[in-house]
Amino acid sequence: MTNLVPNIAYDYAELAKVSGIELPTPKTEAWKYTRLRDLLDCPYTLCTPSSATGPELPLKADVIHISNGRLVSALPQVAGAEITVIDHVEEKTHHPFAQMNALYLTQGLQITIRRKLSRPLVLNYHMSPNGENGFYHWRNIINCEKDSSAAIIEQFTYEGEVKSCYLANLVNDINIQAGASLQHYKYQNEAFKANHVALHEITIAADGKYESFCLQKGANIARNETEISLNGEGAEAVVNAAYMMNGWATLDTTTNVYHYQPHTKSSQLVKGVVGGTAKGVFQGRIHIAPNAVCTSGTQLHKAMVLSDDAEIDVKPELEIFADDVKCSHGAASGEIDKEQLFYMRSRGIGEEEAKTLLIDAYVTDVINHITDSSVREWFKSLI
Amino acid sequence: MNTPLLEIEDLCAEVCGKQIIKDFNLTINEGEVHAIMGPNGAGKSTLSYVLCGKPGYAVTSGSVRFKGKDLLAMSVEERAREGVFLIMQYPVEIPGVPTTTFLKHAVNAVRKHQGLPELDTMEFLKMVREEGRLLGIDNEMLKRPINVGFSGGEKKRMETLEMSILKPDFAILDEADSGLDIDALKVVAEGVNRLRDGKRSMLVITHYQRLLNYIVPDFVHVFADGHIVRSGNKDLALELEQNGYAEFVKEK
Repeated sequence: MTNLVPNIAYDYAELAKVSGIELPTPKTEAWKYTRLRDLLDCPYTLCTPSSATGPELPLKADVIHISNGRLVSALPQVAGAEITVIDHVEEKTHHPFAQMNALYLTQGLQITIRRKLSRPLVLNYHMSPNGENGFYHWRNIINCEKDSSAAIIEQFTYEGEVKSCYLANLVNDINIQAGASLQHYKYQNEAFKANHVALHEITIAADGKYESFCLQKGANIARNETEISLNGEGAEAVVNAAYMMNGWATLDTTTNVYHYQPHTKSSQLVKGVVGGTAKGVFQGRIHIAPNAVCTSGTQLHKAMVLSDDAEIDVKPELEIFADDVKCSHGAASGEIDKEQLFYMRSRGIGEEEAKTLLIDAYVTDVINHITDSSVREWFKSLI
Repeated sequence: MNTPLLEIEDLCAEVCGKQIIKDFNLTINEGEVHAIMGPNGAGKSTLSYVLCGKPGYAVTSGSVRFKGKDLLAMSVEERAREGVFLIMQYPVEIPGVPTTTFLKHAVNAVRKHQGLPELDTMEFLKMVREEGRLLGIDNEMLKRPINVGFSGGEKKRMETLEMSILKPDFAILDEADSGLDIDALKVVAEGVNRLRDGKRSMLVITHYQRLLNYIVPDFVHVFADGHIVRSGNKDLALELEQNGYAEFVKEK
C-alpha cells in the first residue's frame, strides 16, 4: 500500500496520474455515459475512521460492519469459512479504478468458503462523512472452494451530512471453484451526492454457479460493473439488477460475460426506473470464444422513464465466435402504461398510489428471480 | 318519487378531435336499469369512458351531474370513489400486481372516501373470498396478477367481483357479454342482479338483446350517431333484435 497523508485533499485524477494510472475520460468508450466529470470534479481526502454502523438486515446472518472503509467489528466465527483482514493486494487487470483501489487500499477482507454456509454473510458498509469529502478503497478476495456454497450480501448506507460527495471504490475478486456456488446480493443506497464505483471480477470453474442481484437506489454517480469468466464446462452465471432514481443521478450497470468453454450459460435481466433528470446506463457484453459451443447467453434490459428529462443509454454487445450457441439480447424502454394507470384509477386508487403500485410491480419482477426467500422479501421491502 | 342519480344534458364529446357524442341527453333515477343498444361505431364505449373521465376523451359542451354534483369536474379516481363503476369491455392485464393487493387498495381508497375505517388484511380477504366464491373465483385466481392469463370469461367475472366489493351506486356495463359463453354470461348476470337493490342504478351497453334476457332493463334506448334516437321499454330490444339498426342509421 502506498501511503496517503490524512487531511490532504487529493485531486483523484491527478493522484492517478502521478501513480502511473490513466483514468478514463469522458471520451473513453467504456465510460462515456458515466458522467465521470462529476465524479472527478471534487477533491477527496482519505476518510477519517468512524465507528457508526449501518442498519441491520431483517434476516439471520453473520454480519461484518465496515465503516468509512475500515472494519469496525470483530470478525465473526463462521463455520465453514475463514475470514482475515488484508491491507495490500496486487491488481492483475488494467481496470483503472481497480488499480487505484489496489495501490491505495484502505482495507479489505480475504474470505475463503470451505463448505456450505448455514446462513448468509452480510458485509454492512456504512459511511458517516463527518463533514468531509472522503474516499476509501475496499476489496474482498473471495474464494469459494470446490463444492462449497454461500450467500454474501453487501449493503451500502450512510448517515449524517447527505450532501457529502464522498467516493467509495470497491472491488470484489471472486473465484468460484468446480461445483461451488455463490449467491451475491448488493443494495446500494449511498448519499445523494456521493460516488460509488464497484467492480466485481468473477471466475467460475466447471459446474460452478454465480447468482447475483444488485439494487441501486442512491449516489450521484454509481457504477456497478461485473466481469465474469465462465472457465469450465457447466459453469453458469445469473447477473440481475435493478435501479430506481428520481433525482439527477447516473446509475450505471455494466457487464462483461466471457464464455470461454462449451456448455456454459449466462443470463442477465436488468430493470430500471428513472425520473427527474436521472440517467440509467446499461452496457452489456456477451463474448463467446471460438471453441465455446453449446453455450447460451441471454440479456434483457428494460427501463421505465417517468419524466421528459430522464435518460436511458443502452449499449448491448454480442461477440460470438462459435457456432451452435443460443444468444439473445433485448432492450425496451417506455413510460408508465396509461391503460393500466386508468384501470387502477377507475377503481378508486389515486394516481400517485397507482403509479407506485405499477413501479413496484415492474421492479419486483426482477426481485422474484432471487432464490433465497428471506433475501427476496428484504429487497421487496426496499423498493 | 323518482330521485335522479345521473343527469346528462346536451353532452358533446370528442376523441382525437373527432366528435363522437352529440347532444346526448339521459336521466337515470335511483334504482333504474337502462340499456343502450346501437350499431358498431355509434359511440357507446366512448360514452362510458367519458362518464369515467378517461384521459383523451374530451367533453366539449354539456353537463353531467351525479348525485347532484358536477361529475365532469372530478378526476377518474374521485368518480370511482363517489360510486361510478365501469365493467370494461377489455380489462387490461397488469403483470406483477397481485389481484388481492390491487383489490385491497381499491376497496380501502373507496372506504376512506366514505369515511369508513380501512379493512385490515384478514377482514379484506374474508370479504373478497366470500364474494369470489359466488362468482366462481378461487384463491388461486386471486393470487395471480390482475387479469394476467385470464380467459375472457375469467376477466368478466373479475370485473363483476370488483363491482361486488366496491358496491358502486352506478355501474356501467360496457359489452359485458362480449367473449362470454352462455354459462359465463349467467354467472356474470347473476352477479349483477345480486346488486340490484332498488337503489343502485345501471347502464347496460350492448349490441345484442341476449344479455337483456338475464339483466332485464327498465328502459331501452337506441343509440346512433352520438345520441339517443329512440327510447322504449324492454320490448324495444326484441324489436331491434328482429329488425336491426338499419332504420336508425339511415335517419341521420
